[in-house]
Amino acid sequence: MREITVRVNGRLSRRTIKDNELLLDFLRDRLEVRSVKAACWRGECGLCTVKLDSHLVKSCLVLAVEADGKEVKTVEGISPEGELSPIQKAFVSHGAAQCGFCTPAWVLATHELLQEKPHPTQADLVEATSGLVCRCGTYNQIREAVAEVSGTTARPRHMKESLARA
Amino acid sequence: MSFGSPYVTLPDFTYHRPKSLDEVLALLKEHGDEAKLMGGGVGLIAFMKERLMSPTHVIDVKEVAELGQVRQVPGEGLRIGAAVSIAELLEGGDLKTEQAVLREALARVADPMIRRRATLVGNLCEAIPWVDSPPALMALDASVEVAGPEGRRSLLVSDFIRGPVDIDLGPNEMVTEVVVPESKGRRSAFEKFTGGSEFSLASVAVSVSNGGKKRAAKLVYGAVNSTPVRCPEAERLIEDGLSPTKVRRAAETASEKVECLDDVLATASYRKHLIKVITTQVLWRMM
Ligand SMILES: Cc1cc2nc3c(=O)[nH]c(=O)nc-3n(C[C@H](O)[C@H](O)[C@H](O)COP(=O)(O)OP(=O)(O)OC[C@H]3O[C@@H](n4cnc5c(N)ncnc54)[C@H](O)[C@@H]3O)c2cc1C
Repeated sequence: MREITVRVNGRLSRRTIKDNELLLDFLRDRLEVRSVKAACWRGECGLCTVKLDSHLVKSCLVLAVEADGKEVKTVEGISPEGELSPIQKAFVSHGAAQCGFCTPAWVLATHELLQEKPHPTQADLVEATSGLVCRCGTYNQIREAVAEVSGTTARPRHMKESLARA
Repeated sequence: MSFGSPYVTLPDFTYHRPKSLDEVLALLKEHGDEAKLMGGGVGLIAFMKERLMSPTHVIDVKEVAELGQVRQVPGEGLRIGAAVSIAELLEGGDLKTEQAVLREALARVADPMIRRRATLVGNLCEAIPWVDSPPALMALDASVEVAGPEGRRSLLVSDFIRGPVDIDLGPNEMVTEVVVPESKGRRSAFEKFTGGSEFSLASVAVSVSNGGKKRAAKLVYGAVNSTPVRCPEAERLIEDGLSPTKVRRAAETASEKVECLDDVLATASYRKHLIKVITTQVLWRMM
């Protein structure tokens, strides 16, 4: 057992945890950040993606103790309370969510991509999200949403392309 | 939330985050058999979930400054520390034309989030037959630096990997660095076939050196057998340069000579077919 302090979406949280606790469980169960989804538990689907300091990581493969003294950002932290970010609005207008389970991870990942590269190419998008799965298959709608925010046009392509690992 | 399944909980352990190499070695000396080193934790955390590993001490080396460097040592080569993540290594730009095979292999490992955490050394130390760095490192004649209570030793990656998930490393020892020797004029490339999953079903690492008088070619196949395997017969065919005929003959020779395993991922004959395809692809690209 040990005490850790993590800043999650701007708010400092101090909790006593066990050394073998996953960051995923820490966020969901202790801090009740439920946008972080537990799905495959083995780093494949990416729905537990969070930003740890300056990079996106899959929180099912990170120990909670590793986040001690660090900053975590989840989809709740990408826009001011009560407001939607441009990519969130675009997800809504393009119907880029079906069941919605993976949506927080995709919004976070595409938001971060757009922060880093305001005009990502199709290849940039496929690469940046190659660790994420949408089990409903809304890849085309996500592509359109990203294209709208970046001011480019999405060429309709087969959605399988998004799944193809580079 | 744990559902009681071994796939989601971790065994009990004490986590250590040493700041120096001496501290790591002291912890290894004290806890030895009971401890596991952690680089990115991508493999270790997964193995612990499945109880393939149940260490009572986990030693995280990510904050050890001495292990976090990539150094270009003139006359010797590139030294890559155990705490350097694959993403950092790629972004640092140290993998140039000479080490293209390693760059190409690492750039296709998993996805950007996993590459941010996973280290080259962790990937190598897993020594699972299908991981991609061992064949690439073998094609470059890379070696590992090992530190332990009896001091340091250095050995070739080809000797370090003894078998599937079996490396030449004592319980009190650790890998501090991977060393990729300098080789002017060397060209190299990597190719793999995954069939859409993250597992390589077959991979090939090629290097061709024509610096000075000595010409040498290496063709190392990963994921086809329990450890990476070379194909000397095919290597000889491409030592003196490449042509469409030589590429075809090398691909056919490798497909025929390299021994392949039958397992749940693929049959031996399918792997032999893949060897022909990826050898053709990679050599054609180098022509
Ligand atoms: C979804 C997914 C996709 C993947 N796709 C690929 C792929 O395409 N290609 C590929 O090659 N791999 C792939 N992998 C495997 C992944 O790349 C490896 O698990 C990772 O590189 C291991 O590195 P790490 O730093 O996380 O090692 P860790 O998990 O930290 O360690 C792995 C092992 O090495 C030991 N170890 C770590 N550091 C040292 C050291 N300094 N000295 C001695 N022993 C040490 C550990 O004790 C442990 O046994 C994938 C994994 C996942 C989850």
